[in-house]
Amino acid sequence: MKRYDCMKRLAERLKDELVILSLGASVDEWYNAAPHMRAASLFQQQLGCVTPQAFGLATGLPHRRIISLDTDGGMMFNLGILATLGNEQPKNLFIVVWDNECYQSIGGPPTHTAFGRVDIAAIARGAGVEHAYTVRTLEEFETHCAAGLAADVPYVVVAKVAGTVQPDIKRKHSDGREDKYIFVRHVEATEGIVIMGPSEHN
Amino acid sequence: MKPSSVDAVIRGLKKAGVSTVCYLPDSLFKELYPALDADPDIRTIRVTNEGEGAAICGGVFLSGKRAALIMENSGLRASVEPLARMGLGAGIPVIMLMSYRGELGENNWWAIPHGITMEPVLNALRIPYRVVREEDEIEQSIVDAYNWSYNAYYHSAIALGGSIVR
Repeated sequence: MKRYDCMKRLAERLKDELVILSLGASVDEWYNAAPHMRAASLFQQQLGCVTPQAFGLATGLPHRRIISLDTDGGMMFNLGILATLGNEQPKNLFIVVWDNECYQSIGGPPTHTAFGRVDIAAIARGAGVEHAYTVRTLEEFETHCAAGLAADVPYVVVAKVAGTVQPDIKRKHSDGREDKYIFVRHVEATEGIVIMGPSEHN
Repeated sequence: MKPSSVDAVIRGLKKAGVSTVCYLPDSLFKELYPALDADPDIRTIRVTNEGEGAAICGGVFLSGKRAALIMENSGLRASVEPLARMGLGAGIPVIMLMSYRGELGENNWWAIPHGITMEPVLNALRIPYRVVREEDEIEQSIVDAYNWSYNAYYHSAIALGGSIVR
């Protein structure tokens, strides 16, 4: 199963949601797979921060569906967030973990999930996130996207994907700072709020 | 902490518009945490380490709400990685309130590292901070930290020490 194919299937289901996603090649893949979600997606290069940030966003916007596109390396970096989600039980947070069993962006050395013992979905269930599943086919992935996007409990899908990157895709040019402004302005416009407002005159 | 100091912290947080607090409890602030939990205007989130709390606070910032990360100053060390990436890489601010473990007067050997490393770590990250040791400066210092961070879009910190936490 290819990550890019999964992304296209997920993207077809999205409209008003907000997305926070992990680092590496998945950034460019999501940029291409979900062009209508570019302003609604925060492209960050922060290992271990993705799902915690998405949870913070979900806390601040409880009426809005938030999606975390995390990775095996990113989730293993900070497993504690699963225990926090288990206790807090956010009603509007859907988490996809792209598990390619390697640190693909630095050439592919294995992550802890590569050896057949470490099971992120099982860890999530053990941490109190009852709905946590591992999927290996596009059909399974779609089924769980439909359920996860409609759930009123935290929902984790660990998608076992190939360690390859979609060839010939457009590179995203902006950096994390520009991405933050684009994302914040999108949240401001769609929520009718001010997050980064004007300075005082004094 | 005296009840009046706990009240001053909560007044400062409310004046700054804070609605979410992420915390990992410590002994010097032990009276503060249940008071935050009991406050109907503040949502508390208990985290497994302070770095996770920093990242959650970053997400709350992106929602337009205001968050605080409250912890012992040892938690600053656990937060360095997310703070560096969010603050220097993206300009996502986290405002921190920490107890000053390990300052002069400390009577626990294990807390000495916290005192020795806190200010150098804050300086390494170029995080402006204020050490507050007088109760009547708590409220305004918290408000000042938020004002600065919401113009700089960078982290700031208040460390409570001295007789406030002893």
